[in-house]
Amino acid sequence: MRILIAVYGSIHDKAAVSLGAQIARRARVAPTLLAVASPNGKKADSLLACARESLASERADAETRVETGSVVDRTLSIARQGGYELVVVGEGTDPHSVLRRWQEPVGVRIVKDAPCPILVVKGPPRPIRRILLCDSGAGSPAISPFADEIDPTRGAATPLRRFATRLVELLAGDEEVTVLHVMSQMSARPGVRGNQLRADAQELIQERTPEGELLEADVQMLTLPGVQCYPAVRHGLVVDEIVAQARDGDHDLVMIGAHRGPGWQRLLLDDLASHIVRHVDRPVLVV
Amino acid sequence: MSMEPKSGQQPPDPVQAARMSTLPAPFPRQSAAPAIKTRRFALWRLRTRVAKILLFVVSLYLFILAITLMKEGARGLAPLLRNLLAVGSTASALGFGWLFAYAIMSGSPVAAAALTFFDAGIVDKLGAFAMITGSRLGASFIVLLIGFLYVLRGRDRATSLSMGLLALSVTASTYLPGLLFGAGILHTGVLDGVQMQSGALLRSFIDGMVDPVAGIVVSLVPNWAVFAVGLGVIWFSFSLFDKCLPQMTLKESQLGWMSRLVYRPWVMFTLGALITLMSMSVSLSLSILVPLSNRGFVRRENVIPYIMGANITTFVDTLLAAVLLNNPPAFTIVLVEMFSITVVSIVILLTLYKRYQHWMLGFVRWITASNRNLAIFMAAIFFVPIVLVFVR
Repeated sequence: MRILIAVYGSIHDKAAVSLGAQIARRARVAPTLLAVASPNGKKADSLLACARESLASERADAETRVETGSVVDRTLSIARQGGYELVVVGEGTDPHSVLRRWQEPVGVRIVKDAPCPILVVKGPPRPIRRILLCDSGAGSPAISPFADEIDPTRGAATPLRRFATRLVELLAGDEEVTVLHVMSQMSARPGVRGNQLRADAQELIQERTPEGELLEADVQMLTLPGVQCYPAVRHGLVVDEIVAQARDGDHDLVMIGAHRGPGWQRLLLDDLASHIVRHVDRPVLVV
Repeated sequence: MSMEPKSGQQPPDPVQAARMSTLPAPFPRQSAAPAIKTRRFALWRLRTRVAKILLFVVSLYLFILAITLMKEGARGLAPLLRNLLAVGSTASALGFGWLFAYAIMSGSPVAAAALTFFDAGIVDKLGAFAMITGSRLGASFIVLLIGFLYVLRGRDRATSLSMGLLALSVTASTYLPGLLFGAGILHTGVLDGVQMQSGALLRSFIDGMVDPVAGIVVSLVPNWAVFAVGLGVIWFSFSLFDKCLPQMTLKESQLGWMSRLVYRPWVMFTLGALITLMSMSVSLSLSILVPLSNRGFVRRENVIPYIMGANITTFVDTLLAAVLLNNPPAFTIVLVEMFSITVVSIVILLTLYKRYQHWMLGFVRWITASNRNLAIFMAAIFFVPIVLVFVR
């Protein structure tokens, strides 16, 4: 797995390097450390020095690279050119942009155009023990009409499920994975039988509803030696419930699917991934 | 494509059943050669389409007839409304429109009535404007009433009432600020110059095909009853129009994903406006959401902007009524109503939508949390318009 860790002067740079180094050490690879400095290159040395300190504390090493300009543009460009499979970046505003007051945070902007999974880091550095995997069912035919998202050569595994399995394998120790599906549905009219709108995960699995089948498939795929996997359902607005679950469960990492699809889908469907990255107060991995 | 379980199927929709009963029988499934089957299917489709077009034409004719009758009958009602009910102030007009919509379980006839009252000089511009606003508040009650009946039969409160409560809350929270904003626009006269004329063709149609029938009704029934007949005819015309809508086509379109996907607020806002432009009824636009999911569900995120959009184009029929009355100030009143609601809705969507969404859903959650809260709410929505009617 090729990993790119981008630092640019964010307060979360240290946590980003620490988390990226954790994953790289487990994957037995040396990550690439990308320092995006101001156009005059003045801050590059200090960025690299801080990053190396964090790497040393994780007993990891990395090849380094220095770029100047926009954090988002340079990071995405390097990620594409280098064929990286994971980019780790701390959340913050782009210090090199004159429009930074009106722009979205760096993590939100990178996630929108990323060629690979992006780990947006915020909060203090911490080891990954409790993972929250949020599956909307976007790749599942039982829930999503976009069946062409599923690659038939890979069975029923969605990109999110596949990457989650890979990550959990890398971290295999004592991890706990909670698979969450948020039902934000409400009854469209009186007379609708709404017991599924109040059911918990086990009830939905027993009733073989689309949501229950999704959770069951996720749990089956993610149950590995040393990993405990639990299904969970919440009822409410998608973003609110994910933020609440991440906080209530004190999860170390939140995993979600990216806002994808052909042109019209991206235009018409709400970009929930960006909202979640913006509002969750802990690391978010967007696949 | 959907694998939703059959155990989750909803009970039959009475609205859809009524709609289907006036159309040609379903295409018979008989064994026959493929070519004959295709021809029979094509003929059946042609008959269905012709039936819908005829229904549409008849409903449009009845709508025009109803407006003519209500215009004539409104003058006969003037003494009753002025002296007995004392509909004079803006607040009393708001309360009257609200209660009137409760009584006839529909908002559009009340809005049309408001324009005929204005035409007859019973209410002034602001009074007509307030009465139209009241009609929308009353119209939102219909979905709520059906839900309340289910609750009395033991169904879950939240499931039965959420949609109705949300419709009423969103309507009230946009229309009441819109009332203040619109009153200001009416006062300044900024939109007075924007007019739509009925045109010579429509005028000659009314003179030739509608006025003779209206004249017969006027000669047969007392003055005060002409208005009631007109109200009945307009109500019937709307029910006929409901039957013309291509509901099943919507289900198979991409709208069928509304229960599963979260759309951007402006997409749902536009969709609500477009669907209600065709249906001319907010409650019908909401009922269209029902067959779009086998389980009768929609995403919470999609509903609020949908209702906001629907609340704007629901006035299209009232706008047509104003054109038929040939009363430019009446047209301005409806235009100002649509404009002010549009502005309020767009401001909400652009500036504080997330907070608004939480407030509306939180309010609905509070009401359905207990029977006591529900009773307080139901008492308020009856008590408030009654009090308003008596404000001088």
